Amino acid sequence: MTSTSSIGSAVTVLTRDDISIATRAADKFTQLYYTTYDSPSRLADLPNFYRPVSSLTWNGKPLQGPDGLRSLIEKMPPTKHEMQSFDCHPIPGASPPSLLVTVSGTVVHGKPAPHAPGQRSKSVEGQARVYSQTFMLVPDSAAAPSQPGEPAKYYIGADALRFVG
Amino acid sequence: MFSSPTPAPGSRTLASNALRKAGLIDRDAKMRDVSDKPGGRKGSSKARSHRTRPIDVYKDAGPTHSLSTRLNINASRAESSDSLSVRGASSRPATAGRLRRNAVSGAVGTDSPSLIPVRASNRTTIKGVEPWRRLIQKRWHPDTALLDLSNMIEDDIVKKFNLSPPGHGGSSRDAAVVFKLARELKPQVQSLNLAKNHLSGQHLSLLSHYLPGLANLSLQDNDLKSYRDLDFVSGRKDKLVGLKELLLAGNPLREEMIKRDVEQFKNEVSRRFPSLMTLDGQPIAQISFDVSREPNKPTTTVPEPFSTTFPVEMSGSLIVGVDGGLLSNFLVRFFSTFDSQRAALKNAYDSAATFSYSCNTSIPERARTLALHHKLPNQRKLEWGPWLDKGNAGSRNLLRLAHSHEKQVQRLFIGGEAIANYVSTLPITKHDISGPPEKFCVDCFPVAHGGMMGLLVMVHGEFTELPAEGLRSFDRTFVLVPAPEGSRAKLSGWDVVIISDQWTIRAYSSSDAWKPGPMVVQPDPALNRQKDAGPSATDSNPGQTRPLLSPEQQNALNQIPDPQRSMVLHICVRTGLNVQFSYDCLTNNGWDVEKAFANFEQVKGTLARDAFL
Repeated sequence: MTSTSSIGSAVTVLTRDDISIATRAADKFTQLYYTTYDSPSRLADLPNFYRPVSSLTWNGKPLQGPDGLRSLIEKMPPTKHEMQSFDCHPIPGASPPSLLVTVSGTVVHGKPAPHAPGQRSKSVEGQARVYSQTFMLVPDSAAAPSQPGEPAKYYIGADALRFVG
Repeated sequence: MFSSPTPAPGSRTLASNALRKAGLIDRDAKMRDVSDKPGGRKGSSKARSHRTRPIDVYKDAGPTHSLSTRLNINASRAESSDSLSVRGASSRPATAGRLRRNAVSGAVGTDSPSLIPVRASNRTTIKGVEPWRRLIQKRWHPDTALLDLSNMIEDDIVKKFNLSPPGHGGSSRDAAVVFKLARELKPQVQSLNLAKNHLSGQHLSLLSHYLPGLANLSLQDNDLKSYRDLDFVSGRKDKLVGLKELLLAGNPLREEMIKRDVEQFKNEVSRRFPSLMTLDGQPIAQISFDVSREPNKPTTTVPEPFSTTFPVEMSGSLIVGVDGGLLSNFLVRFFSTFDSQRAALKNAYDSAATFSYSCNTSIPERARTLALHHKLPNQRKLEWGPWLDKGNAGSRNLLRLAHSHEKQVQRLFIGGEAIANYVSTLPITKHDISGPPEKFCVDCFPVAHGGMMGLLVMVHGEFTELPAEGLRSFDRTFVLVPAPEGSRAKLSGWDVVIISDQWTIRAYSSSDAWKPGPMVVQPDPALNRQKDAGPSATDSNPGQTRPLLSPEQQNALNQIPDPQRSMVLHICVRTGLNVQFSYDCLTNNGWDVEKAFANFEQVKGTLARDAFL
């Protein structure tokens, strides 16, 4: 798979360990990210995932870096995310590789709609939305590990969210 | 690509450094792995049961003094359970407790040739917490914030007061007393050594409750047998969220699991302790962020989320930094080939490209409320079976594959050939890309990739699954880079080549989800009451209705092939320009929606009335 590869200068083979590490990283990242997003202190913490070069889109609205994100979430209702599936690939071509993470799940904004117990709301308003979110996690070359074995520091290089249901 | 998870040169040093800092091992003690010393060290079985230990081992019993030696022994020990069973001393706490009661009555079991002086042991002695407090004070190292509770049974205080430490007759409640006392220490306990205490998971069930801020934890040489035992340690979600280092060597669980699949073991542990960086002296996390979930963080002064409305409206497709024609050519060709002749996609992927799909099988709440499953003709004929498991392959929803490292690897496909072969086995699909543009939503923007400019493309939409003819929704993310001259992709007419493709397939939801316009967070209670009261409730379907195009305009729009059509529509909606002017505006701006919009902003004052809808 490497001999004919044409992408990038640092063509590398994905090993089982790479895949395993990417999976763990995505698992850890998604847990951390949505816990932070849903927490009362998200305005202080969530921007730390990003760098000024990070590109974001929220339902088609482009935003830039931690400031862009801050401007979005300071006026965002409280959230409760629930992941239903996620996947992650190490993206071939760089070392350490960037990671592409896609998440599918539901998000409720504000307080759940109150309705009588046992009675399903007839309106979709206030119900959980399905969202699709893609992250590209990029190793921070400015914060390279100083020792072998030390975890590489990553940030969100790209983040695209859509409500899809 | 990543630094290797097997210890790179120096990684042990790192772990040892961390431990040294934490005070868990002495300066000269080296971390050893069982694999280093398959035979283990003679006499390592001593770790298991105090009853079988020759007296000379605890001559040096000052716990802080001998800790490093013991940790070291334990790290290199192996197969102690065999020798244990020979000696007949069970490591189960219950048995140990029973044996001790036997010892009290003087009837020491013949299978238990104890060298330890018989001591009275009964539960009542624990009711005074004072001896425990003394033990904890004695074992506490405030300078390193280390509480060393290893091998409590051998402690003089324990002997003197006839205490029953947890794991040696003491229950999980007794353990909780110890942890609670530990919580009172100042500064807060950072490192806790519980090695060699015969502890099972139950004993540790309140550890995360009382000491949620632990950074280093040694559970070496205890009796954790299953992942369930480990669940007791990790507690519920969001406990022990600051744990950086964990030692599990010498527990039946760990010794068994690393024989089978060490990566899988790391995965399981890492899932339970998301912040973990080293496990048994080996690096486990290869990635970290500038965000941590340290508990007891000083309360921040940022305002809590309070808004009851969304900060921005839903916008249409966002396509920046790429020639729209190039993107639409790619998408049209990709999806039509995907529907009709998947094997031909071989050259659309780079030879190192990655592909997987994952299924989100949950039923979407809004679609259920709208009863889409019943209103659409063929939804009930759809089944997830053909997607979920396909022999060695299938859905790569990592939430579901957390327990199978093997499947995580098998279900990721690499290289155009392998990908094309694999997707050819999946159910047949029909993407109606020439149909109504609002059924699809495309976001695309440039990303730096390995020194070159790549494109991140997200497509949301629906397809018909054959033969059931039912509808499914999907999200598909591509990473594209320009196809190099002379590459197989370029020779096959692809201007861009895929280096990553992740496809999420989910139950059908209406494309109204991304209909541009304001979105409602909460139903208006007043409105609801009206609806409830009124006999003829209005359509509860939310979302803003877009200004409808006149039939002529709609007709003109329909002449335009997709996805240009959706871009034209996007500009129409955003600017109010009619279809022809929107089309011209986009054409003059290289089909870059943002450029077109910026251009419009510049010239809108000069446009005649008939340029608008």
